[in-house]
Amino acid sequence: MAVIEAIATTYLEADATSVTFSSIPTTYEHLQIRVSSRNTFAYKQGNPTLEFNGTAGTAYSTHSMSGLGSTADADSSVTGAANTRLPHMTTGNGISGTAGGVDSADFASAVIDILDYRNANKNTTVTAVSAAALTTAGPFVSMGSGLFDDTTVITSIKLDSNGSWMRGSVFTLYGLNSS
Amino acid sequence: MAVFTVIDHTEFGASAEYWEETGISGSYDHLYLVASLRSDRATNYDTLALQLNGETGTDYEYTRLYADGSSSNAVKAAGVTGAAYIHCYDITGATNTADTFANFTCWIPHYSNTANYKQVYGKTARSTASTVQYYWNEALTAGLMSADTAAITEMRLDPTTGPNFVQYSTVTLYGITGA
Repeated sequence: MAVIEAIATTYLEADATSVTFSSIPTTYEHLQIRVSSRNTFAYKQGNPTLEFNGTAGTAYSTHSMSGLGSTADADSSVTGAANTRLPHMTTGNGISGTAGGVDSADFASAVIDILDYRNANKNTTVTAVSAAALTTAGPFVSMGSGLFDDTTVITSIKLDSNGSWMRGSVFTLYGLNSS
Repeated sequence: MAVFTVIDHTEFGASAEYWEETGISGSYDHLYLVASLRSDRATNYDTLALQLNGETGTDYEYTRLYADGSSSNAVKAAGVTGAAYIHCYDITGATNTADTFANFTCWIPHYSNTANYKQVYGKTARSTASTVQYYWNEALTAGLMSADTAAITEMRLDPTTGPNFVQYSTVTLYGITGA
């Protein structure tokens, strides 16, 4: 058995509002999602969200720090939310609220770590690092973290785009073993 | 030959003062550590210390890019030389959100060479459901052990005040092999 295994890959042949990995085996220690994506948000950076086990409610928190072009920024903590937001996780599809202006070939990359997802003694926490250098102004690099204040074992993960994930986006879920 | 090999996986069945791995084989190319940690320190955080090869003198340097919400919308940087450990920023303490553990991952590239000082690249996230801003932090840390250029054969993690990592904290150490 390999230590790191690909559980599932989703490649979008058409735009989609969300991507969901379901029936995730509980045989791994940690999960990692690697993403190359772009969404229809009419700004240079999109802000997708994560939802676990189909649970919305108010159990999620989000924190982040980012470099946007030459500007550094830390988002204020968001708590009691219906999902974990991952700021600047994807390239958007517009500038200043208007679609267009971002080269159609510009996609962002992101790596999302979900540690101890099957451990029912601890809440689920997430760390994500994402970045995109753009052919237009407005590149970004971002680190986000989140909390799902729930000790339930994670069996599904929904990545919801603010807008739609665009064709050509690809998402791969990996499992990391500990033995 | 497998690319990832599990060198050690520890889940603390009870509180423990530290995690340590000794006798690390030099047969890999890189080391990768994944940890989910919480301290029993009687406040919202504790300092996470990483030491290599049992060095406890002032042989460590580190610098970090970080945000902790303590000042609004600020991403900050800090650097230290002549330290007794690499401060991998802060993990969750006893008064923070229950059942919530900080995420810490780090790489030690080319750990077994004997020509260079060893660099550590770490990523830490302490998430919270609290609305108190400084109850969270994120950090990207570069660390150096400059006592000598010996191969790394020992790693140790400590909560510097603790005194303990709490039950259910986990640490997984992987060896990464190149072609």
